[in-house]
Amino acid sequence: MEVNKKEESMAVSGFLLKERVLRQGAEARVYRASFLGRSSVVKERFSKKYRHPVLDRRLSDRRTLQEVRCILRCRRAGIPTPAVYFVDYTSHCIFMEDIVDSVTVRDHIASTQRRSDPSSALEQLVPLAAKVGRVLAQMHQEDVVHGDLTTSNMLLRKSQDPAELGLVLIDFGLSSVSALPEDKGVDLYVLEKAFLSTHPNTERLFQELLNSYVASSKKSSPVIKKLDEVRLRGRKRSMVG
Amino acid sequence: MHTSHRLELYPEQTVTQLLFKCVKNAKELRKSVMEGKIDAAFINPKMLVDPFQVLVAANKAVHLQTIGKMKTRSLYSEVIFNLSPTNNISEAFKRFGISDTDDSVLVVLITTEGESQVLADVVEKVDGQQIPVAELSTLNDVTQIKKLYKVTPQEEKLGSLLDSVVCRMAIKDVL
Repeated sequence: MEVNKKEESMAVSGFLLKERVLRQGAEARVYRASFLGRSSVVKERFSKKYRHPVLDRRLSDRRTLQEVRCILRCRRAGIPTPAVYFVDYTSHCIFMEDIVDSVTVRDHIASTQRRSDPSSALEQLVPLAAKVGRVLAQMHQEDVVHGDLTTSNMLLRKSQDPAELGLVLIDFGLSSVSALPEDKGVDLYVLEKAFLSTHPNTERLFQELLNSYVASSKKSSPVIKKLDEVRLRGRKRSMVG
Repeated sequence: MHTSHRLELYPEQTVTQLLFKCVKNAKELRKSVMEGKIDAAFINPKMLVDPFQVLVAANKAVHLQTIGKMKTRSLYSEVIFNLSPTNNISEAFKRFGISDTDDSVLVVLITTEGESQVLADVVEKVDGQQIPVAELSTLNDVTQIKKLYKVTPQEEKLGSLLDSVVCRMAIKDVL
């Protein structure tokens, strides 16, 4: 059994060796590969040598599991996320749908800002901000907390009709299921930090996002209250005393 | 007429699918499979959206066999089990296996190189008309599929039914 396990990990990682790395982060590597004849994206949580092996396996197991569960939960509720094709829990690889012809929201905002003068760029981006707010409200309504909201973890499908915004949420690696306004507030706080630091002078845009979040969610007021609290103290709760 | 796909993760294994309609000997076929006389998976095409769905099930079966974690007794029964949205083995066979009265069947073969004889053997045993696998969509029942996999109306708006189905198959063991 133990021997088999090792062999298996090699089947998948041997396959990945030949594929093209799209992105590499601290947690995982992302490849683009053909899988069962389809273009797909493979997310591999590689082993971290700096961690104790038992802890490393546990964390990777947990996060792989959590990621696919939250993806399905979102899809059930009609929130666009890539479909999962295959999961290998021994080598911590997730094979999923390749969202072809898409840009990250981050790149989209940056290029819009480059193309036009500041005030008209903001004007153009308001519908997108409102859409993000709506989708996040819907996600929180389902008690999914993303855990790592940034504009790089949102994709925008290029479609013929520019009025129709095909927003897709990706990277549920740190996500969890929670009904607590605290967790949802922190989720929004993390996004606010990331948003305003990657996109300078977009305070008004983020405000639009929050307005739309509030408008589309019934349970938003405790979350926004928590967000205000979190802004004052930071993401971590004080554990003093 | 048949379609074959070599598994990217296990290149020594090839999955072949054959589709038949107007099958007259379903009862006989089922019996032979249960007695172990034919080594293949016989699937009722009613609940299949696309050949890709079968590939996903076959790939997972080969994977689980390699790591020694199959839930059923053989590779082919595992393919049938993997198609089901639930973890109930007997229900999987009821929904996806063939029954005596079926008149269409999709046959799945998982072969290593140099096993081309198996294909001819199967074609010989099925008393029916072989049609291209792409014609699967003429034999399935989309309403039933949506019901079985519990695809919500909100989810349908996301895009393809195939993606929704495959996603459930891939994740069902950790729900």
